[in-house]
Amino acid sequence: MASTPETEGQKPKHRPIVRIGIFIIAHSFIVSVVCCTAGVLALLLLPVLAKKTYVSENALMPGSAIPMITDQDVSGANNFINELTSLNSKSQSLNIEIPRLIALHMANLGGEVSYHMFQNQPNKFHPLHFFTSTDTEANNVNQTCESYATNTVGIIRAPRGDGKESIVLVTPYNPVNLSPNETLSLGIAYSVFSLLTQVSWLAKDIIWLAADSQHGQYNSVAAWLKDYHTPSFGGFGKLHDDECHISNDIIEMEVSDTLRRAGTMAAALVIKVANTGEAGEQDALNIYAEASNGQMPNLDLINVVSYLAVHGQGLRVQVDKLVSLLDSTWLKFIGEVFETVGKIARSVNPQWKFGISVKEYVEGSATLVSSLYNQALGVPTGSHGAFRDYQVDAITMEISPKLFSNSKGRQTELLFRGGRLVEGVIRSVNNLLEKFHQSFFLYLLTSSNKFVSVGVYMIAFLLLVAPLPVLAASLFSDTIKSYVKSEKNQPFKSWRWLYPTKTVFLVHLWGAIISLLPYFIYQIPDSQPTSRLLIWASLSLFILIVLGSFFRARSAEWALLKSVTVSSAFIGLCLMSVINFATAEIGALLLVPMCLMTKPWRVAGKVQSALNLVLVIIGFPGATFFVVKSVLGFENGSSLVEFWYWVESLWAWNSATYIYICMVHLPCWILCIYILLHPC
Amino acid sequence: MEESSGKTTKKHPWFWSSAVASIVLRLVLIVYFPNTLNFSSRPEVSTPITSLRRLAEGYWLKQSSMSPYAGSMYHGSPLLLSILGPLTGDRGEGQSHLLCGLAFVIADFITAILIRAIGQLLQVADIQSLKSLGASKFSKTSENFPAGDIAALVYLWNPLTIITCLGYSTSPIENLMIVLSLYGACRRLVPLAAFGLVMASHLSLYPVILIIPLVLLIGSGLDTPPRKLFLQPNHGDGYKKTNFSWRRVVLFFLWASVWALYVLVLCSISLKEYSGLGEMFKRTYGFILSVEDLSPNIGVLWYFFAEVFDFFRDFFLIVFHINILFMVLPLAIRLHHRPCFLAFVYIAISSILKSYPSVGDSALYLGLLGLFVNALADMQFSFFLFSGYLGTLLLSPVMHNLWIWRGTGNANFYFATAMAYACFQIILVVESVSSMLNHDRALKKGATPVAKKIQ
Repeated sequence: MASTPETEGQKPKHRPIVRIGIFIIAHSFIVSVVCCTAGVLALLLLPVLAKKTYVSENALMPGSAIPMITDQDVSGANNFINELTSLNSKSQSLNIEIPRLIALHMANLGGEVSYHMFQNQPNKFHPLHFFTSTDTEANNVNQTCESYATNTVGIIRAPRGDGKESIVLVTPYNPVNLSPNETLSLGIAYSVFSLLTQVSWLAKDIIWLAADSQHGQYNSVAAWLKDYHTPSFGGFGKLHDDECHISNDIIEMEVSDTLRRAGTMAAALVIKVANTGEAGEQDALNIYAEASNGQMPNLDLINVVSYLAVHGQGLRVQVDKLVSLLDSTWLKFIGEVFETVGKIARSVNPQWKFGISVKEYVEGSATLVSSLYNQALGVPTGSHGAFRDYQVDAITMEISPKLFSNSKGRQTELLFRGGRLVEGVIRSVNNLLEKFHQSFFLYLLTSSNKFVSVGVYMIAFLLLVAPLPVLAASLFSDTIKSYVKSEKNQPFKSWRWLYPTKTVFLVHLWGAIISLLPYFIYQIPDSQPTSRLLIWASLSLFILIVLGSFFRARSAEWALLKSVTVSSAFIGLCLMSVINFATAEIGALLLVPMCLMTKPWRVAGKVQSALNLVLVIIGFPGATFFVVKSVLGFENGSSLVEFWYWVESLWAWNSATYIYICMVHLPCWILCIYILLHPC
Repeated sequence: MEESSGKTTKKHPWFWSSAVASIVLRLVLIVYFPNTLNFSSRPEVSTPITSLRRLAEGYWLKQSSMSPYAGSMYHGSPLLLSILGPLTGDRGEGQSHLLCGLAFVIADFITAILIRAIGQLLQVADIQSLKSLGASKFSKTSENFPAGDIAALVYLWNPLTIITCLGYSTSPIENLMIVLSLYGACRRLVPLAAFGLVMASHLSLYPVILIIPLVLLIGSGLDTPPRKLFLQPNHGDGYKKTNFSWRRVVLFFLWASVWALYVLVLCSISLKEYSGLGEMFKRTYGFILSVEDLSPNIGVLWYFFAEVFDFFRDFFLIVFHINILFMVLPLAIRLHHRPCFLAFVYIAISSILKSYPSVGDSALYLGLLGLFVNALADMQFSFFLFSGYLGTLLLSPVMHNLWIWRGTGNANFYFATAMAYACFQIILVVESVSSMLNHDRALKKGATPVAKKIQ
């Protein structure tokens, strides 16, 4: 936008940059078409452009040491698993007994043990929560012992460290209903913990958090992290009633009630074992990395894990992908096109390593789409998400054995494999001198060992949104020129944009208001999701009409209005691309064609009007939701209810996507409709 | 800006209801959302010089019989400490700094009223001189648009002003002093002008360059078209030649020195038991000039001085500060017939190049820009600048979040927005000056309309 139209004076010669600007603006249609096509093409090309991952931080040195885990550790873990299983089958008050058993074993291994009790904090929508940093609301209702959950925390003090840094292992389990795979993950953590109490190379403290996930896996970790990072004065135990504590009388051990801390966390690993058998020949390792608002852990952490899993333990590493895309024909077709292009390119010059096979392309795209979707949603994919809020890099490692059987030998093998893998990762992270910073934070994965970095995917986005300022400038300059021709003596021509800006501002204000409405809708007791949704929709409409009638905008010229709308969409999309790239990319795919095409139906031809109508219908967030769902083939539950739950999950997780939809997407959509119906 | 200048066509009731609405908005936000909107911790709003938190700290130090400047927390004036300090004292639960907030709201309101008064004076002078020139077309538009009302409303409704007011930064007081001096000079109230100048430069040092426009205002009166236009034979009749009144200027300097002496005496009394004036100068002006605090802000100096080698530091300090002074003289020569506009340009330039800028400074010059709405009717790039300001100001907190809280960005991200912001400010200054010069040229052509060029 470096040269808005106004530069066209009567001076014979402009500076070159201004002339380039004028040239681009004069050909805005071609520029828009070319840029948009290039943007979509670049997005489709991303799986092709993905690079192989590499471990960037030298200090990590993954796999340089021989795994030290011994039979003794593993047999200890086996005993631990057996005890847990037998306890599970006979005892009654499991949510007290199991933490106690874990604490006992931790203490026996030589760790410092403490309990962390927390209450379930239901996710509530709170307005202004997005804009404020801290919420100090303590929800102290319902303080019964049953509502408390107990995390068990064991800490190994590093013999070579100064206690300033730590590595966290998290094993979520549900004490009320302990499943065999949860016991297995506890067993893996036990074997590693048992080893690490004996080794001499440890430079960072190890924290093993056995997270009580009866209130959700994320919540337990988040509650612990919050208390870990909040300085408490006068003892943490004060908060709780005494009878709620697990009594230490029976078993003689030192379990501290106060929250014990180690240093700042360098990394965190959430260890899980999948309960479904995997169909392949190998055991597999699923990696989940997406935290809230599309934040990712440092790529080095994923690299180390996948390197060790593939080369050390012979596991097949996979990241989440959208299975329904795997056999879509059009994706295969695009893949074939790219493959052919790649072959031709290679025949021209063998140096060009362009192009990948169709299968690779389809798998890469499926992973990329899933990665984009998870990031765009802004909802963490596991309990590792809680760590990212404290700038700690964390991932979930889910080991899925090829056949889940309870046979002793199979269990031991899994314990060995998992234990070695975790040990290797810890050993690498232990080598770190600084926190992860070498590798990427902003990337998309196309497979476990391929990634697209910010420098590449930003090109696709910028190409997509580049037509917006060009179009805004060209519309603006055209209108101003027409003023100059028609009414000669009117001053303030260059300030005419103030009227449409007022309209646009009001619509955005409306967006802000309706984004806060759910808070009030929640005050209505006993309402169904459908009725809530309907109340929301009708209230929004009502407010829109009220705002529209109160501040009746002077019938501004549609071209200027469109120009301002397009500029606001541009600003909104660019902002969002910094906050959460995936949302901005998906939003741009919907918004940009709609904004570029929209035109009053009286001015536009029939074909364009029909096209506009289709774009506007698809552009409505609810419609988009259903279209995407039916295309990708998810079907469950009533659609309105589902949509409400989807939106609810967005604000419950403080997703910026919710803000984006309400304050950028919806206002632009309304304005596009307004322009479409403009009487001229 | 969009709310005001579109609607305020004329008539005062509109102005008063809008002004009161903006005050009510501020009060509501201060009283009902005291802690939820954490503007006071934003680097864009509160700088080391203007932060009220630091002031409270300094007050606390002073209460416990220590020098308020101990520990490099407070860098403001001791007088502010005496005036605002007691208001920060009662920090009961939930109503932190409520009284200070009220003080800032009042300061904002007075500033707006003064801006309006300046605007009315300017408008009267403008119409008079246009009539005497015979350029009736311009005078008609000038009557249509009450520049004072527009400027005051732009100041009051500017989100930047509101944020500054809610962010508990002392910039509203500084802005008030600057506007007070301008108002005094416009009304030719020499003691008031001198007082405003002395206080403003005592609080934040940079307004000291306003001495040139103030002297011009006091000496030769309000903004007029260039003098040579009146000397042209065809319309030189109705114009009475005003001479530069040296007597007033001397009086101004006398008053200024009296006020300066008075302020210094008050400061030394207030600091008597703890430290002397020497420490005050070192900790306030020294702190401003030597850019000691390198915490990020929306200016461009912090990044540079964080990077620069230590042995070049002094050299670049001089270079950067000379930068402001370099522009003072040429602008004064070119725009000497429009002292109020000159003051606007000076304020804008110093808020770009000052060592700890905040959005409060931008709020002031954007408000003053409204005073010249008639002359700047054909300003170029207005929409571009509007979008740019909006974009950068929204982007700045996002980049800060990315750098400080998420840890996925770095200082360059934030500095990029600071640079973009500086660029937009520079474009604003350049465009406003050039359109003011164009306006003068158009006047020169007499009745020929300004509409000739552009757009």
